[in-house]
Amino acid sequence: MNYALEAEELNINYGKTPILWDLTFQIPEGRLVGIIGPNGAGKSTLLKAALGLIKPLSGKISIKKQVAYVPQRESVDWDFPITAEEVVLMGRYGRLGLFGRLRLADREAAKVALEQVGMSAYADRQISQLSGGQQQRLFIARALVQNADIFLLDEPFVGVDLATEKAIMALLRRQKEAGKTILIVHHDLPSVEEYFDWALLLNTRLLACGPIKEVFTRDNLAKAFGKSQLLFDEAAELSAKSISGIL
Amino acid sequence: MMDFFIDPVLRAPMWGCILMCMASSLMGVLIFLRKRSLLSETLSHAAYPGAVIGVAFFALLFPAHEEWSFLAVLGGAFLSSLLGLKALHWLEQKGKVRSDAALCFVLAVFFGVGIVASSAMQAQLPVWHKQVNMLLFGQAATMSDMHIWIYGSLALLVAFFLFLTFRPLQAFLFDRSFALSAKMPVLFLERILFWLLLLSLIVGIRSVGVVLMSGMAIAPAVAARQFSDRLQTIFILAALFGALSGLIGNYLSVIASLPTGPMIVLVGTTFALLSLFFAPKRGLLFRIIRILAFRLRCLEENILKGIWKKGKFSETPSLRLSFVLWRLKRGGWIDKHSNLTNDGRQKAASIVRLHRLWELYLAESLGFQAEKVHRTAEEMEHILTPEMEEKLTRLLADPKQDPHHQPIPERRL
Repeated sequence: MNYALEAEELNINYGKTPILWDLTFQIPEGRLVGIIGPNGAGKSTLLKAALGLIKPLSGKISIKKQVAYVPQRESVDWDFPITAEEVVLMGRYGRLGLFGRLRLADREAAKVALEQVGMSAYADRQISQLSGGQQQRLFIARALVQNADIFLLDEPFVGVDLATEKAIMALLRRQKEAGKTILIVHHDLPSVEEYFDWALLLNTRLLACGPIKEVFTRDNLAKAFGKSQLLFDEAAELSAKSISGIL
Repeated sequence: MMDFFIDPVLRAPMWGCILMCMASSLMGVLIFLRKRSLLSETLSHAAYPGAVIGVAFFALLFPAHEEWSFLAVLGGAFLSSLLGLKALHWLEQKGKVRSDAALCFVLAVFFGVGIVASSAMQAQLPVWHKQVNMLLFGQAATMSDMHIWIYGSLALLVAFFLFLTFRPLQAFLFDRSFALSAKMPVLFLERILFWLLLLSLIVGIRSVGVVLMSGMAIAPAVAARQFSDRLQTIFILAALFGALSGLIGNYLSVIASLPTGPMIVLVGTTFALLSLFFAPKRGLLFRIIRILAFRLRCLEENILKGIWKKGKFSETPSLRLSFVLWRLKRGGWIDKHSNLTNDGRQKAASIVRLHRLWELYLAESLGFQAEKVHRTAEEMEHILTPEMEEKLTRLLADPKQDPHHQPIPERRL
């Protein structure tokens, strides 16, 4: 079987605090994967490590194919002087190199993607004039024009209206039907079983990774969100403090 | 005035300032959009001790070649800026100092060392001290034609670079992690941008001085941002504002014999201030006008609503209300006796309809208590668009009564 994403004994630290601890997993191609865990579990860090934006302390994580990344919406300045269409076109810049100019095909692709996410009417708007849901649709369109094999989305449904959430899910499902792999950092537990067919449960350490039916059990969820984790956190905090000489 | 551009003595400072300000304003847009204004401030201040010490060494080694001392200024400034940057990174990474604290610390320490070194020169090398002092606030008058070429090439280099790399540049300014994930040459770009920034800061010291250099770079960017939402236009406008500040600032400094740097920066910040107030879309003045217009509309609509509910206008009007009533009459919503016209009645009914629809929506769809919905509805009745009305009507299945059992007026045909 081919894997879209593989990690082997992956460790990532921030200073002396571990963010991800000894992760080993494989995610097969063509799945719709939910990356699930409480706040501060290292979900976003995992995506960034997969993209090579963060260097691991040890171990490795590898993605074989072309990736489209949808960062958290709050990570950019929406007052930036740029139009909706230009944001989508950005998905094509990766191929242009340093001095490239946009071609007609790129503009055509952006137009189609805007149409797909229902944003054609807003192409010339400055991005601060868009609602939260519309801004997220824009990010999805930008990912679509990349024609990637793997989509990595970081909390795409935060601050987004329900209609947009459903529309985005429908689009992503269609991408999955076409053989693409989709990973979504998600923390709304009730919708997990409806949205995903594969899940990766995370809380600093890997708790489970597999088909949704096997992973999404009461037992595992208690491990991810429940009290059994507390002792571990306490010990880790204590060790971080002792090592850095605060205690 | 023409003399300033042609006369062999006057033309060098004039063209020098214009071209230098153009180049640094273009760089300023980048700094401004990346929100790193304080970094350029720190780097330019950190250049000062190097420049001073450079000149001191030069004075001791080649006392007879004063015309080449600018090389010592450039070299020294360059080295100490880099040193400042290293200190900054060290403080942030190893010392775990917060970024803004580290920036201020480096700025103060380096600048302080520069001032001390310059005072030490005062007694030992009085002639050279004057030259060093001039680096604080700039002295364009001593520029020669060579400076036109230096600043001209710098401006051309920066403009050319921005033009050629515009697409990846725009992407990485807006969303750095996306640009990295899409394999754009972000790190390479950042490196080049850093060197261009350092270069423009250091060669700009001559005309504006270390103290005000970054203000010079940022002010035109701030002004340009107010006028446009397109990055291309902002670059062009910033270059224009920059060039104008250089031109006017230098002109004023010559005729009033004041230091060039402060004059240029004053002109630049005047542009920025005027833009913040008077720019058509984002400017403060037009925002205030729009706010007042909205308040006036609310008042008009409320009066129409009041007349619709009570049947007549019963208060003795104050001056403000008389004005509103006059406007309503002129608009054809009420007649001479302050009774609603046909149009006025329809408009009032549709305002009441929006109000009651919103109340119902809050109470039924969002579970608000019926007593608490009136206040927000009072505001929303002026804001809801026809499309939203349509959506509300559909969502609530074309309701006939609001939560207080008042009838909801029919939709306007």
